[in-house]
Amino acid sequence: MDRAEADLLAGTLRRATEASTGAALDETLEGLGWRDALGADARTAVVLLFELQGRGGATSSGLDDVVANALGIAPDAGLAVVLPGLDSDVPPGTVAGDAVAVAGLATSRLLVAGSALVVGVGAEAVATVAVDGLDARRVGGLDPAMGLVEVAGTTGTVSPVVPLGPERWPAAVRRARLALGHELVGASEAMLELACAHARERVQFGRPIATFQAVRHRLADTMVAIESARALLEAAWEDDHPATAAMAKAVAGRAGLVAARHCQQVLAGMGFTAEHPLHRFVRRVYVLDELFGSARSLTAALGRDVLAHRRLPAPAPL
Amino acid sequence: MELDEFRAGLDRWLDEQAAALAPPHRSGSLDEQMAQVAKVKRLAYDAGFMRHGWPRRVGGLGGSTLLRAYLGEALTGRDLVEPGIYSMTETLAPTMIDYAAPELAAAMVPRLLRGDETWCQGFSEPGTGSNLAALACRAVRSDGGWRVQGQKVWTSLAQYAQRCVLLARSGPPDSGRQGITALFVDMDSPGIEVRPIETMHGAPEFCEVFFDDVAVPADRTLGEEGGGWSVAMDLLPFERSTALWHKAAYLHRRLGDVLGAVPDGVLEPAVVGETVQLLAAFRARSRATQHRLADGERLGPETSVDKVLVALAEQAVFDLVAAGIAPEVLLGEGSDAARWRSEFLFSRAATIYGGTLEIQRNIIARRLLGLGDDT
Repeated sequence: MDRAEADLLAGTLRRATEASTGAALDETLEGLGWRDALGADARTAVVLLFELQGRGGATSSGLDDVVANALGIAPDAGLAVVLPGLDSDVPPGTVAGDAVAVAGLATSRLLVAGSALVVGVGAEAVATVAVDGLDARRVGGLDPAMGLVEVAGTTGTVSPVVPLGPERWPAAVRRARLALGHELVGASEAMLELACAHARERVQFGRPIATFQAVRHRLADTMVAIESARALLEAAWEDDHPATAAMAKAVAGRAGLVAARHCQQVLAGMGFTAEHPLHRFVRRVYVLDELFGSARSLTAALGRDVLAHRRLPAPAPL
Repeated sequence: MELDEFRAGLDRWLDEQAAALAPPHRSGSLDEQMAQVAKVKRLAYDAGFMRHGWPRRVGGLGGSTLLRAYLGEALTGRDLVEPGIYSMTETLAPTMIDYAAPELAAAMVPRLLRGDETWCQGFSEPGTGSNLAALACRAVRSDGGWRVQGQKVWTSLAQYAQRCVLLARSGPPDSGRQGITALFVDMDSPGIEVRPIETMHGAPEFCEVFFDDVAVPADRTLGEEGGGWSVAMDLLPFERSTALWHKAAYLHRRLGDVLGAVPDGVLEPAVVGETVQLLAAFRARSRATQHRLADGERLGPETSVDKVLVALAEQAVFDLVAAGIAPEVLLGEGSDAARWRSEFLFSRAATIYGGTLEIQRNIIARRLLGLGDDT
């Protein structure tokens, strides 16, 4: 997509993510052809939607489309995707003949779509199952506004099981991690902006609290954490190596938690009220960090891998 | 010349010349490191590589700044030069190119590129560390030139330097940023005394420099009289861009070295993983900065993010060294042990030199987050 088209899409998505969330945002995305954009230029479409949705505290079922697209299956509003459970990149299904056992999470699309894609353990195959054969529960939990769905059960397939090449599931995980990484960056930036605005306005001891270094340095560290994540996400789009995307997701997850901690502290009592928007983002980043591998477990896994092979991931050339 | 072509040619040359380029000794002494940098720069200059990415009017061959970035990456990544010493060129040559009279730049910059000379940077003073704009070293107009009186400190490599890019107070004592002038001073001028400072890492690379009524010709003024603050503000982003990319290659190499040496079971995987991520994030950030510079963008306060990241990455890498090969670092006798020890100790200064971590955070807060001044 050229610059003008990308700017146009960005403007439309900004308005959509500021004004709507959930089913309403999905409807807008449908109307503006976001899925076509994903097919034409995945990087631009993913970066724009997920950063803006993170920034706006909005949620959509765009992740279903991202995963389906990366699996090589045409995304569709009527097709949900079952995602791995918390802190996991293990495929959520076990395919046995034409029966599929499912345990995982999903976006709210699962509650309205007729069928869902389930990738099987070992990731050699993807099955399409009827949603009404599954036990699906809308999650309240830490972030009810996110509209996550917990899904489990065993059901039959609605079409023949499709074999997957060995690279497909890792490609889907990589793409999902990039999308979630951008959403974390967007949500973190939203928190940083809220905290900076408060720090400039809030006067104590006769001066704005932004003049106190204890406050400034928390906010500067938040920015450094966000920029680290952004730099690694950009690097991960440019190389296909799954390890780079895993690092980017981990660093973005950590940035989200750093932003939540520092911005909550700077916003202090104001940020602890239900009235102030901060809590929506704090809740969101904790959940986003856990999807497709948390900062904690991705970092430990990277360390184990590096120690086992005594080799660093090859860095991108200049 | 394009980067790919340059990279292929340089890599081939570095392989072919490996024996000639290798350091003769590895005792780790500063004298040896200086001699090694001078030798490598000379060989790389004569082979043409050191001239790419610099303007023709100062003896360069033109081309993208990415070529310079890759040259330093390759030299530090192959452990041929100490990055801090080598990369002084990246900080000081752009300042000369932008602010010296064209004939002065044309005469001087090639000497720096060729390794004939070392230059130093006279910024900090005993009473002026973080608060650079309060510097007191005086420059007074006299006989069409300047007389300089005062003291600098933490001046890297001054005992080796033939020239100094000096910030001095040319206005009244309270003239702040407006009353500073940048001068290009010959270090053999009468009245200059250099005293190296013994440091905890064992290499006396920082110095005190005393100026006692030192004469500096008028044509050695860099930029405008009273314009020294902008010279400094334009210099610092260079200190935080290409030089840091070279540092990334060095840190990558040393992290690889320690991973090869650490016994099984000593390091927590999470600590290793986080260090690898920090270095990768710094490298990704710095890579983007190199491309912005090459695209002609003017670098500014956003390079403070790069500077914070390099400091955190360097300390994380050497924290891992201290923990992973503690017997070597704490008790070892050989030259490898001495080098690890010196590098570990030097990494403690990564959050101090070139603007402390706190100053970088203040720059980020004021210039990037719009949080106003910190008073």
